[in-house]
Amino acid sequence: MLNIGYLTLISIVVGFVGSLTGLGGASILIPLLVLMGIPVKEAIACGMVAIIATSSGSASSYVKDRITNIRVAMFLEVFTICGAIAGATITTIIHPVYLYFFFAAFLLTSFLKIKSKDLDYREPQHQDRVSRWLGLKGSYYDEYSRKVIEYKADHAIQGGLGMLVAGLAAGMLGIGAGAFKVTVQENILKLPPKVSSTTSNFIIGMTALAGVSVYIFSGLLNLTLMAPMAIGTTVGAFMGGRILNKISDKVLRILFFLIVAYLIAQMVYKGVTAL
Amino acid sequence: MNFNNLGSGDSGLENGISYLLVAGLIISLVLEITGVALLYLNNHSLEISQDPSMFIRGNDFFTFFIQQLRGENSHGIALRLMTLGIIVLILTPFIRLVMSVVYFGWEKNIKYVLITFFVLVVITISLVLH
Repeated sequence: MLNIGYLTLISIVVGFVGSLTGLGGASILIPLLVLMGIPVKEAIACGMVAIIATSSGSASSYVKDRITNIRVAMFLEVFTICGAIAGATITTIIHPVYLYFFFAAFLLTSFLKIKSKDLDYREPQHQDRVSRWLGLKGSYYDEYSRKVIEYKADHAIQGGLGMLVAGLAAGMLGIGAGAFKVTVQENILKLPPKVSSTTSNFIIGMTALAGVSVYIFSGLLNLTLMAPMAIGTTVGAFMGGRILNKISDKVLRILFFLIVAYLIAQMVYKGVTAL
Repeated sequence: MNFNNLGSGDSGLENGISYLLVAGLIISLVLEITGVALLYLNNHSLEISQDPSMFIRGNDFFTFFIQQLRGENSHGIALRLMTLGIIVLILTPFIRLVMSVVYFGWEKNIKYVLITFFVLVVITISLVLH
């Protein structure tokens, strides 16, 4: 039977695997909690709190290393928080059965991460007026190529609208929607992959706060779920981050495919049986 | 390697945010772990409970926070510490937001004062009204 001790251990494993695969803890943990009989809305609400913990842990080092672009993050947060508040409000209102299918559908966007190729970043020649006005540019030291990478953002408003959708899904499903956020930043805002993923990580914490602000008094935040989830996923993510570079990409991709496929199948099954 | 010239050019804010996030996370985890340990010592059980006392409830986050600090409406020290741990976790990105508004105000960067202030207002309203 599930208790705080087991949930802490499960959360450590999930935080570890989520960190290795880039899925994050909540997208794996929420379907597992549902499988173990926790009501889907409660699992989603508590997942948002765990996201704040893992985001704070990883974002702190990326911000210190100047890889995260905080101006880009703060501009995009304007959009994600509005989406997250709307999404969380929808979740508190709609019938839970729809959430299983929305969750499964949004998990498909995780595959976007695999499609992106690690090509050398080329700074775009063009920068739109809004991005220029907001000063959305920066630089970071890339340890792999051992050089300073200069970059500037493009299509600020379109990127913001993409983040509105990401925030909506995040607030509604209790997940970080990291893969979607990274895709928007890489493909619309034309930011380098490392800046995209670290800035996304930073934004996820604020998006989760916006979602939690709705859930906090909806009677869905269970202390005996949130505490082990927050402790476990943080410890697991910390451990995963330490060994990430020691595991081959092939193993990570197989692991990623297996987990996402299982989670999608499980949420669809839950949804169908709940109809 | 001097990192201060990298990033978005706001090294003071970046350092402050980095320390804040680590501090918030550590304080929160210490409170959570202590709360869970006390819960086990008191109840000799670590079951996932659906008891109403296990759910965070209230009308206004900030009033709720002050009540928890004062120990009002508390269901024992273990649950109070666990609740405070969650509150600290929630407050960490909120304080990061306040810090950003102050930093950009200090730098007289009106554009980013407005952007961060907008986010702060929306989040504050959501925390107060839900």
